[in-house]
Amino acid sequence: MRRPYIPAFVFGILALIGLAIAPYMALMYAGMEKDMGFAQKIFYYHVPSAFMMYIGFALCAIFSALYLYKKDKKYDIWALCSAEVGLLFCTLVLLTGPIWAKPIWGTWWVWDAQLTLTLMLWLIFVAYMMLHSYSEDSLQSAKFRAVLGIIGFLDMPLIHYATKLWRTHHPEVVRGEEFGLPLDMKIAFYFCVLTFLMLFLAILFKRVSVEKAHDELESIKSEIRDRKAILGQLGSD
Amino acid sequence: MPTFFTHTLAIFQKDLKTEWRTKERLSAMTFFAFLVILIFNFAFEPGSPIMQSAAPGIFWIATTFAGLMGLGRAFAIEKQNDCLLGLRLTPADPGAIFLGKMLGNMVAMLLLEALILPILVIFLDVEVFAVLPRLCVPIFLGTLGFAAVGTLFAAMSMNTRLQEALLPILTLPVLVPALLAAVESFRGILEGDTLSDIFPWLKLGGAFAGLFGAACLLLFEFVLED
Repeated sequence: MRRPYIPAFVFGILALIGLAIAPYMALMYAGMEKDMGFAQKIFYYHVPSAFMMYIGFALCAIFSALYLYKKDKKYDIWALCSAEVGLLFCTLVLLTGPIWAKPIWGTWWVWDAQLTLTLMLWLIFVAYMMLHSYSEDSLQSAKFRAVLGIIGFLDMPLIHYATKLWRTHHPEVVRGEEFGLPLDMKIAFYFCVLTFLMLFLAILFKRVSVEKAHDELESIKSEIRDRKAILGQLGSD
Repeated sequence: MPTFFTHTLAIFQKDLKTEWRTKERLSAMTFFAFLVILIFNFAFEPGSPIMQSAAPGIFWIATTFAGLMGLGRAFAIEKQNDCLLGLRLTPADPGAIFLGKMLGNMVAMLLLEALILPILVIFLDVEVFAVLPRLCVPIFLGTLGFAAVGTLFAAMSMNTRLQEALLPILTLPVLVPALLAAVESFRGILEGDTLSDIFPWLKLGGAFAGLFGAACLLLFEFVLED
């Protein structure tokens, strides 16, 4: 029997409570924004998702570097899972963004630095997942992914700088300022960030425990194969 | 350190020699790039101002696609008869192998670019030759960045089930800043900008080439080892 994985359970419960209260905080408790109206409410989910995306990708780069340095399978599992959860939140950012942009900017998509960076990160980490799926050798796949995780992270500031430079000839996009928020909005916002952090950690820990179990299963399987091969050899002798 | 560069040079020369004797890779790349430019002519109105303003983009799309094809080949030939294993067994440092391969790819790409620039002049009617010396700087930086990232990812994608098919998926998103810098500098120069006008773009291209040149040089070791 495997004992239940405590961190995933604890963070999961906290996330569940947070997610039950978050809609109330975002929709009822926080005041209505004057210019943007109801559309602004999506910020309480969109921005925390973006934070979690950055945390996920940053963790992936850190664990990737640790893996290449120490060659310990454990770091690879953490890197893979952080990338997966980061990609999940990245997808959420890309889905919730246009819902807000359409009524406010009048268009689903703008080639703004922030948007382009998110889309490129999404593409890089989809490639990361493909590298995981299409590799023949798990040890090699781990190294390749680690290399891509680091390269993707190094690319972030360059992509951001490039798109900023690229779009300076175009009208400046009006962005929702987080500073000078009224207190009720601030409380609701930080509540949502905390909730998303709990959700992020719950999924991450759960995912890591599943991946560890998977890894364990693979090693048991290969051990059985080895033993069978030895027994087969003895039988034929 | 001198041995590092001797090894680099040896691998670079080996790649050049195989290319020189067969001329397979460069001819395939050039024809492919030529076809890409042709397709653009069919897709848009030939001779229209749209084509002229799109010329920098068309040049880099043709170069990138043909370059990706060439990069795939560069490692496919190393996989035949386990040549890559042979390279690894030599006393050469992984960094030297990377640098040698990268230089080989870069020379192939620069030759390709030299061959398709005249095609661009003929079919798209853009005034390239008047600004050629200035144009060389962003083209060189873009090619350097492309060759660095591309060589690393080509070595990686060769060892997956998808082989070459994975190469563009890995390379293109990472390459976005370098391509943007290359295209925008090209456009600026065609519109009469001097090098100091497009300095922010050159800085970006240089930063990309420098950062990823160094990162790929260090990371190649992990891609090569078993």
